[in-house]
Parts: sequence; C-alpha cells; structure tokens
Amino acid sequence: MSERDSWASRLENWGTRLESAALVILLSALIFLAVAQIVAREAFNTGLVWADELIKFFVLWIALVAAIAASRSDRHLRIDALSQFVAERYARYPRIVVDAFASFMCGMLAWHSWRYLELTMEFGDTVLGDLPAWTAYLILPLSLVLMSYRFLLLSISGLLGAVRDRESGKAST
Amino acid sequence: MITGAILALLAVFGAPLFTVIAAGAMLGYMREDIDLMAIAIEVLGIADMPMLSAIPLFTFAGYVLSKSNAPQRLVRLTGALLGWMPAGLALVSLTACAFFTAFTGASGTTIIALGAILYPALKQDGYPDKFSLGLVTACGSLGLLFAPSLPLILYGVVAEISIDNLFLAGILPGILMIILLGAYGLWVSRHNRQPLKPFSLKEAGAAVWEAKWEIPLPFFVLGGIYSGLFAVSEAASVTALYVLVVEVLVLKEIRIPDLPGVMRESMLLVGGILIILGVSLASTNYMIDAGVPQQILVYITEFVTSQASFLALLFVFLLILGAILDIFSAIVLVVPLILPIAMQYGVNPYHLGIVFLAAMELGYLTPPVGLNLFISSYRFERPIMNVYAATLPFLLILMVCVLIIMYWPGLSLWLVPNG
Repeated sequence: MSERDSWASRLENWGTRLESAALVILLSALIFLAVAQIVAREAFNTGLVWADELIKFFVLWIALVAAIAASRSDRHLRIDALSQFVAERYARYPRIVVDAFASFMCGMLAWHSWRYLELTMEFGDTVLGDLPAWTAYLILPLSLVLMSYRFLLLSISGLLGAVRDRESGKAST
Repeated sequence: MITGAILALLAVFGAPLFTVIAAGAMLGYMREDIDLMAIAIEVLGIADMPMLSAIPLFTFAGYVLSKSNAPQRLVRLTGALLGWMPAGLALVSLTACAFFTAFTGASGTTIIALGAILYPALKQDGYPDKFSLGLVTACGSLGLLFAPSLPLILYGVVAEISIDNLFLAGILPGILMIILLGAYGLWVSRHNRQPLKPFSLKEAGAAVWEAKWEIPLPFFVLGGIYSGLFAVSEAASVTALYVLVVEVLVLKEIRIPDLPGVMRESMLLVGGILIILGVSLASTNYMIDAGVPQQILVYITEFVTSQASFLALLFVFLLILGAILDIFSAIVLVVPLILPIAMQYGVNPYHLGIVFLAAMELGYLTPPVGLNLFISSYRFERPIMNVYAATLPFLLILMVCVLIIMYWPGLSLWLVPNG
C-alpha cells in the first residue's frame, strides 16, 4: 500500500513539475517573442512573418496547460454558492456527482477533438509554414484527457472521503 | 427544457462552468445533427482571436506586482499625494485600490494585497469600523473600468470592438465611482475632528522616489497605445517584460527560484477563463445559428419599446447575473447574445460594455455569493453577516453610479473618438 502511495505521489509531483515547466517556457517564450516582434518592427522596420501565428499558438497552449493546472489545483470557475451555505459534510455529496459529470464531459470533448486531429492528419493540414497542424492542436485532446482524469480523481476521493467518514461515524456512535 | 434544467442544476451544484457550457453546446449540435468535432474546432478558435495574448501577459504582470512590495509603495505614494485632503485616507484607499485592480484584474487580489494595509490604517485614522470594512471590501473591485483591466480586455475581445476605445470609455465612469464613494467618505468622517495632515513635499518626494520604477508603467502602457506605437497585446508584452526585469532583477523582491511558482499561480485564472471562452465560442455559435438573440428580441419587443425601458430591463438582468456568475464567465457567455439585441435598441457597443462591466462589478458585492464579501470575511476574520451590512451602503452608492452610467451615455462616450 505504502509503496503504491509513494509511486502515485511521485507521479503527481512529476505531473505538477511538468505543467509548471511547460507554463514557464510558454509564458517566457510568449513575452520574449512578442517584445522581439515590436523591436524588429520599430528598430529594423521588419517583422518575423511566422511570429504572429506562433504567438497565437502559444496563447492556445498556455490556456490549455493552465486549464490542466487549474483542474489539479481545483481552481476552475464554478458557481460556488452551495459550499458557502451548506455544511462541508453535506456540500461534498453533490460535488461527487458534478465532478464525475465534469470528468465525463472532458472525456467526450477529448474524444471528439482527437477525431478532429485525425481528420487534419488525413487532409495533411499544416500550420506555421509546413508544420503538420496536429502537432499544434495535440494539446487539446491531451489537456482534456488529463482534466478528465483529474475530475475523476476528485470525484473518487470525494466518494472515498464520504464513505470513510460514514464508517468512522458509525464506529464512534 | 428538461435538459436545460438539469444543466442549470449541475451548474448550481458546482460543476465547472466550462463543462456545463460544453454540455449545452453538445446537446445543441446533436439536435442540429452537426458533427461534435465542430466543438473541438471552435475551442481551437481561441488561437484565432486577436489581442488575446494580452490576457495572460497582463495577468502575469499584475500578479508579479502584487507579489512584490509594489502595494506598499502604491499606498505610500497615494497617501503622500492625497492624504492631506479631508477624508484623505478614504480617498487614498479608493485611488490606490482602483489603480491596483486595473493592473491586476479583478480577482480579489486587491483586498488581500491592499486591504491588509488600509483597513487598520483607516480605523486608526478615526473612521468607524463598519465604514472601514465596507470600504476595503467595496474597493476590491473598483478600478475594473480602468485600463488595462482584464474584464475590459475580455469584453473587447468577445464583442469584437476596439479595446483602445473601450479603455477610453471606462475613464470617466470609473472616476464617477471614485468621486461618489469619496463623497460618502467625506460625509461619514464629518464628525471626525482630527486635524488635517499638512501636505509634505519631503514625504511626497520620498514616496515618488521609492516608487520610481513603477510610476512610468501606466504612462508607457497608455502612452504607447494611444501614440500608436503599439497595440494592446504588445503593450501587455512590454509590461510583462518590464515588471519582470524591475521586480526580479532590479529590486529583487521576487527571488528567481520563486518565479516558476508565481508564473504557474498567475496562469490558473487564465486557464479557467480561456477554457470557458473556448467552449463558449461553440455554444454561442450554436445559439446565434439557432437565432436565440432574435427570439429574445421578438419576445421583449412586445413590452419593451424604448431604449430607456430596455436599459431598465438590462439593469435588473445584470444584477441577477452578477449575483450568480463571475464577471469573466458572464462576459463570455452573455455578451454575444445581448450585444445584437442592445444594438437594435440603439445602444452604443462601447456604452454597453461599460454598463455591463459596471453592473457586474456590483456582483462582487451582492449577497449572498459576492466574491469580495467572502474574501473580506476570510481575510479580516469577520462574520459574513457583518461584511454584508458594512458593504451595503457602498453597494447602494455603486448602484446609483451604474444607473447614472446607464442613462448618461455621454459619460462613457465623451472620450471615445466617433463615439
């Protein structure tokens, strides 16, 4: 049990690091590329043709990697009325359901975006000159699969917590 | 109808909003027999939205500023410049918070970063506790209408109108809010017989010197945009780089090893907003195709005939919306639907934007679920009911502001070219 726990927590650790590293690289690249673009235009009267398109892909990737990070830190925007007015131990029951729903929806979205990726492969779509389009779009199914996994974990841990509390409640009374 | 109710229920019970919106879009597409792949294409459309890079860049810059000692410097500077006036500290709080919110987006950071300095200072200065608590809570979202705030940029992106002009439209309405709240501060402190502090040139000079690195920031952001030197998204990249260099390399207030954590933390909100934007592109597209705005229009033209009555209806709608949804989700979901309707009633899109954001600002303070109320209750360790009561007068004043902004389009459009 403990061995599996440490294995799982190590995976979590690496996942967090990977996300953070990706965000640091993407955000830094975005800042420097965007500033370089201004310098090139104002000082040298030229521009990097592909830079504007690349900047847009950086934003897409930042958005989706950040969305993965937000699901890990449970920071997605929700209507958070319930937990403010209902005691913690009751508010978590609906959370089990809505997180399971979120996991299912992310899975559906992931599957359909993967289908779209396959289509772009088939048609040989390209971006940024001759880069295959799927390489730029890959982040979409990837992020959705990871978010689906994350919401599933949230739902399961909510369920386990509820079961455990019920049992310990029984034991104490 | 039933599916709609189920989705609403899921949202109320706390499902992540983007999954609810995605489910709505999916059901719509299925009904129209459109391949669900289309949703993926819409989400990827984030990559085709102009100016969108301004959102992660400004958010990051604001986050770095809030993690440095810039909040203390800002409070000292406004204190030195405005503290000598009657109700000086109230005015200082309003101005400092407005500046800070404009640069950090309206995500509650203002209350955390500035409230902690201002709340004790206000009480020490003889302001009643209730007033002080209400003021710092209300201040948390003040400044939403000033450039380069995140909601302004997002509104410009979603409504597909010039962000530059939107920035200009927000200036006078934003000042109106500060003036009316400041007047209330003057009224409350009328019995406060503390002698006014004299203006000290020495302290002002010292405060300016201490903030010398941050003072140029608003000038070159706005100067750069309005001189035509760069676009809003470019101003955002310059700001991000400048703030990074100043706070990390020059002032060394953020250690380099802490930087990845700051970057990650700052992007969480961005991820949350942009994924909602992505799925909303799909749901909005469906609703526009299905003619939802026209249907609403047909429905409301039966009893709403004038622009004035339309605005009244809009006001009520936005108050309810703001009490339920956060400002970012509300912009992304609702603006594409009400914009065409408002245009039918002759409402200028810039004016609508300012009205929308000003009304959503009330949502931060509206019981039961206003975000600022909870942050304040948590931060200052006060029962939520106390915070409700303390904030109520400020909420009412801001409501008056929204009504003025609503029925006086000139206030928003004065500075907008060809507005």
